[in-house]
Amino acid sequence: MSTAVRRQPAPKPDRIDPITTSVIQGALENIAIEMGYKLMRMSYSSIIRESEDFGAALVDAEGRGLAESAQSTPLQSGPIPGYVRGIQRILKERGDVIRPGDVIMHNDAYSGASHGPDVAFIVPVFVQGRLIAFAATTAHHLDIGALSPGSCGIVEAIDAYAEGLQFKAIKVYDRGVRNDAVWQIVRDNIRASDLVVGDMDAQVAAARIGAERMVELVERYGLETFEQACGALMDHAERLMRQAIAKLPDGVYRAETAIDGYLDSDDPNKKELPIVVTITKKDDSLVVDLTGTAPQVPDRPINMPLEGTADIAIWLTIRSVLLDTEVHGHIPVNAGLIRPITIVAPKGCLANPTFPAPTIARFCPGNQLADTVMKALSQAMPGNVSAGIGNLKVIAFSGLKDETHWVHMEIFEGSYGGRLGKDGMDAVDTLYANTRNNPIEDIETHLPLRVLRYELREDVAGAGKWRGGLGSVREFTFLSDGGASVEGEGHRYRPWGFLGGGEGMPAKLDLIQNGASRALPSKVPYMQIGKDGHFVCYGPAGGGYGNPFERDPAKVADDVLDGVITPETALRDYKVVVSAKGVIDEAATAKRRAARQ
Amino acid sequence: MRLIGVDVGGTFTDLVYADTEAGQTGVHKISTTPDDPSRGVVAGLTALCDKYGIPRETIDTVFHGTTIATNAILEHDGAVTGMITTGGYRDILHIGRHQRPQHYSIMQDIPWQDRPLVKRRHRKTVTERLVPPRGEELEPLDEAGVRAAVRELKEAGVEAIAICFLFSYLDPAHEARAMEIVREEYPACFATTSSSVSPQFREFERFTTTAMNAFVGPKVRNYVTKLENDIERSGFKADLRIMASNGGVATPAMVAERPVLTLLSGPAAGVIGGDWAGGLSGKRNLITFDVGGTSADIGIVTDGGFGEATARDTWIAGFPVLVPMIDVHTIGAGGGSIAFVDQAGAFKVGPRSAGAVPGPAAYGRGGNRATVTDANVVLGRLDGKNFLGGGMSLDEVAARRVIGELARELGLSDREAAEGVVTVINANMANAIRSRTVQKGIDPRDYALVAFGGAGPLHGAEVADMLGVPEVIVPPHPGITSAVGLLISDLRYDAIRTSFQISGAADIARINADFAAMAKELAERFTADGIDLSNVTFERRGDLRYVGQGYELRVPFPDGPIDEAALARAFEAFHEVHKREYGHHFAESAIEIVNLRLVGAASAAEIAKPSVSGGASLDAARVRSGSCTFRVDGQLGDYPTDFYRRDLLPAGQTIAGPAIVLQMDTTTVIPPQHTFEADTAGNLIIRKI
Repeated sequence: MSTAVRRQPAPKPDRIDPITTSVIQGALENIAIEMGYKLMRMSYSSIIRESEDFGAALVDAEGRGLAESAQSTPLQSGPIPGYVRGIQRILKERGDVIRPGDVIMHNDAYSGASHGPDVAFIVPVFVQGRLIAFAATTAHHLDIGALSPGSCGIVEAIDAYAEGLQFKAIKVYDRGVRNDAVWQIVRDNIRASDLVVGDMDAQVAAARIGAERMVELVERYGLETFEQACGALMDHAERLMRQAIAKLPDGVYRAETAIDGYLDSDDPNKKELPIVVTITKKDDSLVVDLTGTAPQVPDRPINMPLEGTADIAIWLTIRSVLLDTEVHGHIPVNAGLIRPITIVAPKGCLANPTFPAPTIARFCPGNQLADTVMKALSQAMPGNVSAGIGNLKVIAFSGLKDETHWVHMEIFEGSYGGRLGKDGMDAVDTLYANTRNNPIEDIETHLPLRVLRYELREDVAGAGKWRGGLGSVREFTFLSDGGASVEGEGHRYRPWGFLGGGEGMPAKLDLIQNGASRALPSKVPYMQIGKDGHFVCYGPAGGGYGNPFERDPAKVADDVLDGVITPETALRDYKVVVSAKGVIDEAATAKRRAARQ
Repeated sequence: MRLIGVDVGGTFTDLVYADTEAGQTGVHKISTTPDDPSRGVVAGLTALCDKYGIPRETIDTVFHGTTIATNAILEHDGAVTGMITTGGYRDILHIGRHQRPQHYSIMQDIPWQDRPLVKRRHRKTVTERLVPPRGEELEPLDEAGVRAAVRELKEAGVEAIAICFLFSYLDPAHEARAMEIVREEYPACFATTSSSVSPQFREFERFTTTAMNAFVGPKVRNYVTKLENDIERSGFKADLRIMASNGGVATPAMVAERPVLTLLSGPAAGVIGGDWAGGLSGKRNLITFDVGGTSADIGIVTDGGFGEATARDTWIAGFPVLVPMIDVHTIGAGGGSIAFVDQAGAFKVGPRSAGAVPGPAAYGRGGNRATVTDANVVLGRLDGKNFLGGGMSLDEVAARRVIGELARELGLSDREAAEGVVTVINANMANAIRSRTVQKGIDPRDYALVAFGGAGPLHGAEVADMLGVPEVIVPPHPGITSAVGLLISDLRYDAIRTSFQISGAADIARINADFAAMAKELAERFTADGIDLSNVTFERRGDLRYVGQGYELRVPFPDGPIDEAALARAFEAFHEVHKREYGHHFAESAIEIVNLRLVGAASAAEIAKPSVSGGASLDAARVRSGSCTFRVDGQLGDYPTDFYRRDLLPAGQTIAGPAIVLQMDTTTVIPPQHTFEADTAGNLIIRKI
């Protein structure tokens, strides 16, 4: 249905006027939002519809991002242009061409995809017989046919083949005709296939709507005006980023953090791996160099595809610090934003692996890379960063009911470090992830699981003038026999403190079975868990910002009243003498603090 | 019946009077008294009665729209609130859905963490636990624990308590018992339970809604009580009715108990009023377009019925709120929206607004940013000497200055820049309408746009063009359409039960029991309000989704006993709604009934259609001729334009645009290639040629 009133073609301008550009910008964003809205509402798996682990975006014919859906998670929408470039490259190599009516499925982590479970459906947009753009959706699928149930916690896949099905620019619709054989292969090779295929159908429907709307838009304004507007809006985003970069002092900013890897491994090359970021700022450009980052782990899936994961982590962080929405308002997301940023990553390192090194569990290392980028930027923009963030964790719960698999993936939140003038955000997804938890009342109604506790983790936040955010504690119990696998980070290293702030607190995970409790590492391959098996998941707490002895005693007292810290912690970490009722002994506090100067 | 509607806005309190038997109507406007809005309400009521010589005691009903609760939330100025919740879940309100409001921001605030409705120190836990599917008791309620918690909260100076237990929507007994204990221990406290406020699943959203009810409770209760007394003391014997977000009104007792019902009521009355105006001209499919100084509210009326927002789309001040609400979409676009060029050269209009103070530059109150109003002045569409019926003059020099500055930044002429401001704001508004129509399978070409509010009629025709909407309706008094909406709102209450029943295995006895229980609940409510149940109509609905989905769609349920055939009809309706809403349906998939709903409405009185005398001739209506700037077929041009007084337009005569129609509360723009007529029902109708 086209409701647009067709405009008379405007006279050919030398340059596009800012008014038409603004109108077309709004229209593109509106289309992307509609795609995301429909996908989220039609989809079946909680990982998409509740966690919002999906993306929707519009991309031009050259693979440059034009707009993305506001609802989706950055790690899903951000890679879509890379997916599009990937299928163009593959189809060209294959001697195939893209035609009207095609719908192309893709998840190849070595051709733009973020990792295997994030499958894209890409619909080409043709106007007057010419390919002018793509509308695409991505989503994290429950299962992709890997070695154990679910698509998270596949932490022992030894290569790309062990991670599940690989779709390399597969036409699931060819000129409008459904390729039933491909769909049957998908159905036969993944668990919970009704849900997964239903979600894929929803993705196709949403991408097609985006393509239809784009055709209407281009017909309303004419192709030439449309393309000029797209050029102008990318140039605008580029200028925004360049202006923001230009404000930083020229210099070289280096930071290093580390990931757990496999803490229980005997192999030193699989654990405690460095991530190194060196940002060189000159004029209005940035070079982000990952040299020094650990070599890839050839037989464990914590490698990060450069295009689709590492690049997104870098762009996301730079953009969130330099063009923070809270400070700058809404910033259009398109390819122009990333033009001033060059990424260098040595081939064969953790952030630029070579095929067929496995990548399916790259989620948490990628977020650690984002944190490292922020740590490097903290030297240039100390007022716009947080201290170290607490990283995330996913547990894939599964079981069999009447010969059918149930799979439930729950993302466990981290927290932010303290910020200039503000404490860290408590118990949230961090940096490049921004998913949602599942309501307890939904989980328990639909799955043989019980959530026994969901509260803040007390007394462990990084101390600071502005303290780190609080982690959470969540407990899950199995109501029938099943299994689980764990994919997480942040058990080994404490989130970094900044400008005198204290370090945060790592995450930890306990499994209680048959009356015995044991601490688990941050990655655990699939294990059977009997009825009453019980996870206690402690989320990490962010690092502190600034000298804790400069923290306003009233804020320390508030934390005591709220049970977030004890009076003992107030005294030890902040040198504030405060009773359990929150009454501050100001004289004693002044004396304690003076003694520290 | 003699009725008065009182709508309290940020600047003005509007009053509308209607005598349904005599067919008389009247209007009055008075400044809002923000420190205590009830003063303005009472002063307005008495002034209106004096103006029209109506004895106060003959007024039957006063309908009132209030933003007391809304402002308490927006300004975070409510009661010291406590919470009693299930042990193990103290921080549901604080963790929320663990999602940050903004993807790309380090420095952002999280509303529920930075402005908590209940501080952690006031969140007490007690042992108790229910489990699905039916609310079986896993742990009994620790009554001594509740008692201790209430005492602690009382000692801590808490003024309101929210009782929020997991799965209480399945069985409210634990919450109800805790409520009794609160009443025993601390009777003066405003107390509320999550199962009474919104008995549906999703604990963060339900607990937040309940906490919000407690947070605004004391304030709203005091306001309503005082207003009732003050009205009575001024010689009125009228019943007071208060607008709720669901598009109906409620009694003061209901609102005092569940103030959260009024949170989003402001825009609801506008939709009702827009629907009424469209109905005057026999239109049943309407897009209501209420544009003021800072925002545009968009509602959809299909076949005389308005949509309801889904539970996951209703927010206030960044907090989710689970209350039945008319589906109104609000965007930051209005007469005061500021146009600017950002640091990298992009042209934007809104969402920031110059507000009422300083307002647009043309208001001459020190505003120095170009706004939509200033652009309309430069285009010649707003007449500086005839603004608001001559009640206010516009500073055309100031408007030209700020638009001129903007034009130089853009490298455009003043006219081009001014027209650009209008085009961009119109495109923003058209996109917002698309999101409620085209994107939900509704073809706007089958609808008429009802344009009202101070700025709606200025933009309605051009926005309609962008959408292919063939007809624009401007109501008789566009500035007080919301107050009219109040007058004609039903007394309307909702009941809900979360069900989780799956097609093929549905427990039909339970569904019937749920509907019966809801019918009883609402009947008791109406009876308590003194309403004869024979005047109440009930409608059943269900929130359904395919098994596995997370978003429900609302479908009607048949009356009478529910059997397999009745369920099959509801499921069929769901497939159709899903197809319309998303462009796709899954015929083979099982369907889950998530919630059952019952809506009861006691119909309001019909008010008389306005009597339209109309003027004698077009010449008599013409105030002057001038020149206005329009873009026609892509080309900008100046067009000789006649300015008319609306009250003098002859009825039923088709007049060619361009034209400007002036009246006290708004200005209507009719662009070239359009015609308009003042119809006999009192509306202005604009049509594209």
